[in-house]
Amino acid sequence: MRFQLLFLLSALAAAPSVAAQVSITGIRDLTFGPVIVGIPSSVGPSHPTKSGQFRITAPLSSKVQVRFTLPDALAGPGGAQLPISFGSNDAMAIGSAPGSTPMTFNPKATRNPQFQPSTAYDVFIGGTVTPAGNQQPGSYAATITLTITNF
Amino acid sequence: MRTATVLSALVAAGLTVGAATAEAQTPSASIQATATVLSALSVAAGNNLVFGNVTPGVNKTIAITDGGAGTFTVTKAASSGVTLSFTLPTNLASGTDLLPIGSWSGAWNTSASTAGATAFTPSPAGTNTSVNAATVLTVFVGATVSPPLAQPAGNYAGTVTMSAVYF
Repeated sequence: MRFQLLFLLSALAAAPSVAAQVSITGIRDLTFGPVIVGIPSSVGPSHPTKSGQFRITAPLSSKVQVRFTLPDALAGPGGAQLPISFGSNDAMAIGSAPGSTPMTFNPKATRNPQFQPSTAYDVFIGGTVTPAGNQQPGSYAATITLTITNF
Repeated sequence: MRTATVLSALVAAGLTVGAATAEAQTPSASIQATATVLSALSVAAGNNLVFGNVTPGVNKTIAITDGGAGTFTVTKAASSGVTLSFTLPTNLASGTDLLPIGSWSGAWNTSASTAGATAFTPSPAGTNTSVNAATVLTVFVGATVSPPLAQPAGNYAGTVTMSAVYF
């Protein structure tokens, strides 16, 4: 019996930490490309080259929460600001398992993807920039962050 | 009984230890959202494409280097390229009489001269210019009219439309 108890304890103590195996990587920037003053421009989350992309990996059956930190403007020349907005369907997640169905969701809300049967998810994000009629021409950029909370 | 109690306690203790190793973590990653704001794009008509007098049965061509070539002006952002698309007539009209026109030729340049211009064939599908620093492009258009021997005399006209978008 003593041996059995020790084995049980050692097995529990040796169980790998699930948290340590969750990872997230930024894959691709959200790229609007050229936009014209006074004309809003949108990129959908399913756009094959312009949508932003992250990849999350986690052990099977992991429980995680996904949360975006989103800008409300891109910063440009001389401190100019280019407004950016995100609609309720501007985020999309798709699992790595064969036959996984893309799920659109609101990037302003949290999301709890199920890592079953997939152990990896690609999370895509789109958005809309709205240059003003007198928007300063030039290059604009801002940071989008995706954070995972692993339970 | 005592064994079972000890086992339960140890299992509970072990699970507590296990739960502690799975405490919440918050890994994160970032990407950039980027855009390049360009000034408004405009197209202005310049010279008409003028064939002047033509003789029935004799084709007449206006080359892009000829004085009668049509011109458009595109005003765009620096460090940008545009797609030039055309709506082209297949005939010039004089009332109900038609004068066939075709064999379109074109060229664009960052100056108002055809010297050093880049030739292309105007089409509805569009032609990309290079990405260049110029803020003004001049586009030249030529074509050929082909009046048959029985072409009725008259003044013939048609409309050539060019549009430009950033690519």
